[in-house]
Amino acid sequence: MSGLPYISPIYASIVVVGLPLLAFLLQAIRGKKSTSGLFALVSIALSTLISGLFVLPQVWQEAPVTATVHWFTIGDSVFTLGILLNNLSALMQFIVCIIALPVHIYSKAYMKGDPGIHRYWMYLSLFCFAMLGLTVSKNLFMMYVFWELVGIASYLLIGFWFTKEAAVAANKKAFIVNRIGDIGFLIGIAILFSLFSTLDLVDLFGNEGVFAAGLYKDTGLITLAGICFFLGAMAKSAQFPLHVWLPDAMEGPTSVSSLIHAATMVAAGVFLMASIFPLFNANVLLLMAIVGTITALSAAYFALCQYDIKKVLAFSTISQLGYMIAAVGIGVWDAAMFHLATHAFFKCLLFLCAGAVIHEMVHHKEHTKLDFDPQDLRHMGGLRQYMPKTFVLMSIASLALAGFPLTSGYLSKDAIIIAAFEWAAQHGPGYIVIPIILVIVSILTAFYIGRLIFKAFFGPIRIPQIDQQAPHIREAPQTMLVPMIFLGLGSLFFAFSLNPLSYHQAEILTGFSVRYAFEEIHSLHLVIPIVLTVGALCSWILAWKWYVKGKYPLQANSLWITRGGEQFGLDELYKKTFVNGTLALGRASQWCDKHVLDGLIVHGTAHVVKSLSRAIYWVDKHIVDGLVNTVADTTYYIGHLLRWVQNGRIQNYFGFAFTIILIGIVYLIFR
Amino acid sequence: MITLTHFLVVSACIFCIGLYAILAKRNAIMILVGIELMINAAILNFVAFGKYDKLHYGGQIFALFAIVLAAAAVAVGLAIILNVYRHYKTINPDHITDLRD
Repeated sequence: MSGLPYISPIYASIVVVGLPLLAFLLQAIRGKKSTSGLFALVSIALSTLISGLFVLPQVWQEAPVTATVHWFTIGDSVFTLGILLNNLSALMQFIVCIIALPVHIYSKAYMKGDPGIHRYWMYLSLFCFAMLGLTVSKNLFMMYVFWELVGIASYLLIGFWFTKEAAVAANKKAFIVNRIGDIGFLIGIAILFSLFSTLDLVDLFGNEGVFAAGLYKDTGLITLAGICFFLGAMAKSAQFPLHVWLPDAMEGPTSVSSLIHAATMVAAGVFLMASIFPLFNANVLLLMAIVGTITALSAAYFALCQYDIKKVLAFSTISQLGYMIAAVGIGVWDAAMFHLATHAFFKCLLFLCAGAVIHEMVHHKEHTKLDFDPQDLRHMGGLRQYMPKTFVLMSIASLALAGFPLTSGYLSKDAIIIAAFEWAAQHGPGYIVIPIILVIVSILTAFYIGRLIFKAFFGPIRIPQIDQQAPHIREAPQTMLVPMIFLGLGSLFFAFSLNPLSYHQAEILTGFSVRYAFEEIHSLHLVIPIVLTVGALCSWILAWKWYVKGKYPLQANSLWITRGGEQFGLDELYKKTFVNGTLALGRASQWCDKHVLDGLIVHGTAHVVKSLSRAIYWVDKHIVDGLVNTVADTTYYIGHLLRWVQNGRIQNYFGFAFTIILIGIVYLIFR
Repeated sequence: MITLTHFLVVSACIFCIGLYAILAKRNAIMILVGIELMINAAILNFVAFGKYDKLHYGGQIFALFAIVLAAAAVAVGLAIILNVYRHYKTINPDHITDLRD
């Protein structure tokens, strides 16, 4: 780096992680005075600068840099704290910074005037600290600590409007579902520690690590460890069937949804999978591919049936995360990371645009005092005339999500799907199902995001209004538009690769240089992009016909759509089995506690002891004390009798003496 | 003829009168008088039984001693009564109970 002073990337990355922590502490100390978000903004801007100038350029394509300090010792086991900077972690750190910065700027306008704004900035800084720390952790234990911190920040931000019943339920749900994954992560850590007695990522998975040395991986314990780590990633990255928390997490502020629940935190699972990739054997990888594919398909279908603009995007996020997990399962974790990076930009942008729309809808609602749901797509329509810039930006992001050429999404999605086909060809005919489903999901994705755009921005104006007045909807303010424009540029191909049509030149993919376990099939590299693009185009044309031209062929309340909107009763099922089961268990244990433990054992014993002591008290009082008292009373009475003699009257004394002498004389006479 | 029995009966009568005076009177002087009566009853017995000691007249001699001693005792008794009166402003023995426990 000419012209820039050299700073050790280790110290630079510590500063990158430390600045948001400092901001968090400062804002926590200042409390309600800290409403401007100045600390959070400055810290994340500096972090981004340092990460972009001093960490990523010096680590990228170089040998990994590490630093370790002793933390504590239990017996013979030494636990350390450390920083690991390789291509993966430095890239992830930079992505988090570069997404967090625009979201911070956007929040400045979006959250203006909120009564809890001081908490908002505090939590946001806490999240940035935890997420940045997670990316550069050198050992799994440290990573777990940050993993939990990220979880708590997410919990706090989902429940940011804690007076809303739904928000409280949502953050509880998110936290509890994530606990399931955390348990998996913890068990995985325990298994690895028991096998190798180290948790250091370099010692385990580095170039000279345990797994690189050709360890036999098909043992039951290593499979179990892999599944446990995957469980952790499933919860954090919202994989089927643990994805249920993410749609509900949309109760948080939209800016939070864009940063945490679309771009960065939910990608932590994918990042974890990529970090510990050598651990997984063929069985676990296959499981990951299957779960990822199921997630991608189910979430894409659910997204079709949603009317809430944020819920559509939430299911879209789940679906894209399914793609990433499937990519890791196929073995192309570099493609997964590439998709993670591109997805972070365009999904964040989608959320920010949706936030801008919701912002204006809420304004309109407050102005007209009409009662309607400002997030419902059925109340939007025709917004293109009022918010042209937002419309353009959201279209770019949608095109990227749908995978149209010239966008970043096109490159990363092609990378995954082509690799999936090559993988399937290597493994056998049965495996072809997975890439085919991924193609179908890709087309569904194009359709639902096309539906969202057409319903919100085209067609007649469906906003409820009074007396046909023009709705009070204006373009988003400048503070919101600038970050959106920045992310819009990031959603285009040149941010990642100079060749708009082939992903092979993408810098992220060349940087990781993963050796694939299957052969390249050249014909696919031509056919797949064409198929995907044509499919996406067809689905957009179909969506245009249905939603703009109004030739809607389906019944809106048909079973497939309403059931899909309710995720085929998955939430209900969870509620009936797990929630009600837990509640019943809780009630049973409460009953047991109250009647058996408290009632029978504690109160019963207490009662017995009480009766026993009452009996002993009676014995003590009436028999032991009674005996003593009787003796004392008798003595006292006799003493009292004799006392009367000593009355001090001299004549009485004489009388007594004389009586005694008389008795003596009588005795002498009559004896 | 006056026999020994007559003397003893008179003596017993005097003794009983003295005893009554000691037990029942509400005046310390009268109690002192009662004591004198009882001493005199005893002296009378000495004299009466003195007829059996015609050689040494032991009974009469002892009676003389007893009279002298009784006079001395009365003097002491009167002195005590005088001091009691000074102290308590009364000589009724019922009102003087400081000997009790």
